[in-house]
Amino acid sequence: MHALWDGFTEALRLIVTADPDLREIAWRTIVVSGSATLLALLVGVPSGYGLARGRFRGRTLLLSAVNTGMGMPPVVIGLVVWLLLVRSGPFGGLDLIYTKRAMVIAQFIIAVPLVVGFTAAAVQALPAELPDLLDVLGASRARKLWLIAREAHLGILAAVMAGFGGVVSEVGASMTVGGNLQGNTRVLTTAIVTETSRGQNADAMALGIVLFAMAFAVNLLLTLVQQRRLG
Amino acid sequence: MDVRFDNLLFRRGRHTVLDVPSLRVESGRTTALVGPNGAGKSTMLRLVAALERPHAGTVHLGTRLARPDRATRNLVAYAFQQPVFVGGSVRENLDLALRLRRVPAAERQQRIAAAAEACGITNLLGRGAHRLSGGEAQRANLARALALRAPITLLDEPLSGLDAPARRNLLHDLPAALRAFATTTILVTHDRDEALRLAEDVVVLIDGRVRAAGPRARVFGDPPDAETAAFLGYTLIPDEGMVVAVAPRALRPGPGEVTFALEVEEVLDLGVRREAWGAISGVRVSVTLPPGAAGVPAMLTVSAPAHSVRRYPAVLQIGS
Repeated sequence: MHALWDGFTEALRLIVTADPDLREIAWRTIVVSGSATLLALLVGVPSGYGLARGRFRGRTLLLSAVNTGMGMPPVVIGLVVWLLLVRSGPFGGLDLIYTKRAMVIAQFIIAVPLVVGFTAAAVQALPAELPDLLDVLGASRARKLWLIAREAHLGILAAVMAGFGGVVSEVGASMTVGGNLQGNTRVLTTAIVTETSRGQNADAMALGIVLFAMAFAVNLLLTLVQQRRLG
Repeated sequence: MDVRFDNLLFRRGRHTVLDVPSLRVESGRTTALVGPNGAGKSTMLRLVAALERPHAGTVHLGTRLARPDRATRNLVAYAFQQPVFVGGSVRENLDLALRLRRVPAAERQQRIAAAAEACGITNLLGRGAHRLSGGEAQRANLARALALRAPITLLDEPLSGLDAPARRNLLHDLPAALRAFATTTILVTHDRDEALRLAEDVVVLIDGRVRAAGPRARVFGDPPDAETAAFLGYTLIPDEGMVVAVAPRALRPGPGEVTFALEVEEVLDLGVRREAWGAISGVRVSVTLPPGAAGVPAMLTVSAPAHSVRRYPAVLQIGS
């Protein structure tokens, strides 16, 4: 209880004094997780649409794989990405291991199944005739995808929230492929692990509260957009 | 613009949904595709709109082969059985349809106003499309199709899901709207009264095959076989190895040109008229009794004019 209260007051102090270390870590967290979520959206929304509306062999298998991927432990994904990017690995020459880009790749892989799965469910919930109507009216492929995404905006915004929430809160993959290098690849979750291992529970708690506040702010913004569109 | 189906074959898995060697839908007329559920009616519309590809054969819209391209789609307006709208008002939905068809802005407003008036939805244009009742949604669905002013208008069960008063009202308004906006119209229905009211030509489709096609009076007046006659509402009565088909509403009490014995089971007093319900050779029928008739005998003589009766070989299981 003591650590909780200390953590809360420390968090307030760090925020109010605009602690430079905290600002840097928080900004890096937003950049890494935001980039991964954005990339996951660019890939995941069209893929989710294709999976929802396509009729091809292996579709059910692919949907099952996506649903399984939604619950994949981040540390396992981190391990696979590490094996691919480590200097002796097949993509070692790219020199990406222990960089922010490696973290974005790992978080992208974590977020994609979430975005695909939520998008597919949202598109499947739309009237089956909607794509046919847009086809008959002569909508281009891009216009059709945009109009359908607009209709499925509740589910797609939920996909953004799930994707961002999934990657901003994970620690295993970021730690494995980023290395938690101070001033370089340290993000809020890995910083919490570091502070906890040092016995700095109040600092760790403060970072946790900042992480929670940041995730809440992003989700509040997305929820406001979602509900305004609904109204 | 006419629509031609040649050597058309469409399958789903191993099931043949449509097998139409040759059929022509006449230009400038309203044609009803009628048939029981699962006969392949909606699939025919989807083939015209190039939403499906035939496994064999062709569909031509005028001289153009139906393909999933913009040129084909520009020839077609399609009101789906289930009205579907995007978010926004009814006006925005109609406007979007016209924008996608690249109709200039000034003309769009005029077309929306005209189609809305013809379909009786002028007062609904500002309302959210997802907030319409079933009848209102069907009218808005129809208005969107008519506003396109396409050479070919496809209407899939335009009166489905409506309650009786809404259906009656739309059935009354639809012919005038079609005359005003649509050129060639293909209408799918499983209701013969809708087909009679709305269409000049009728195509009867059963199990994916065209059983009869032509002007309404000819198809309804002379069905080619017992199954088609049954679908068109004829009463089929077995008679010495044959099937006698009596046209809808042709049976009257009393002797006449073709006479039957009706075994009366029940007399319904409906206030304005009375009806005798019973069976002729095991087939359930009812006839309207003349006003003032007192007692009704257990075995009532009923008849139909000869021109409303057809005879077919008994290939159909009566009651099936």
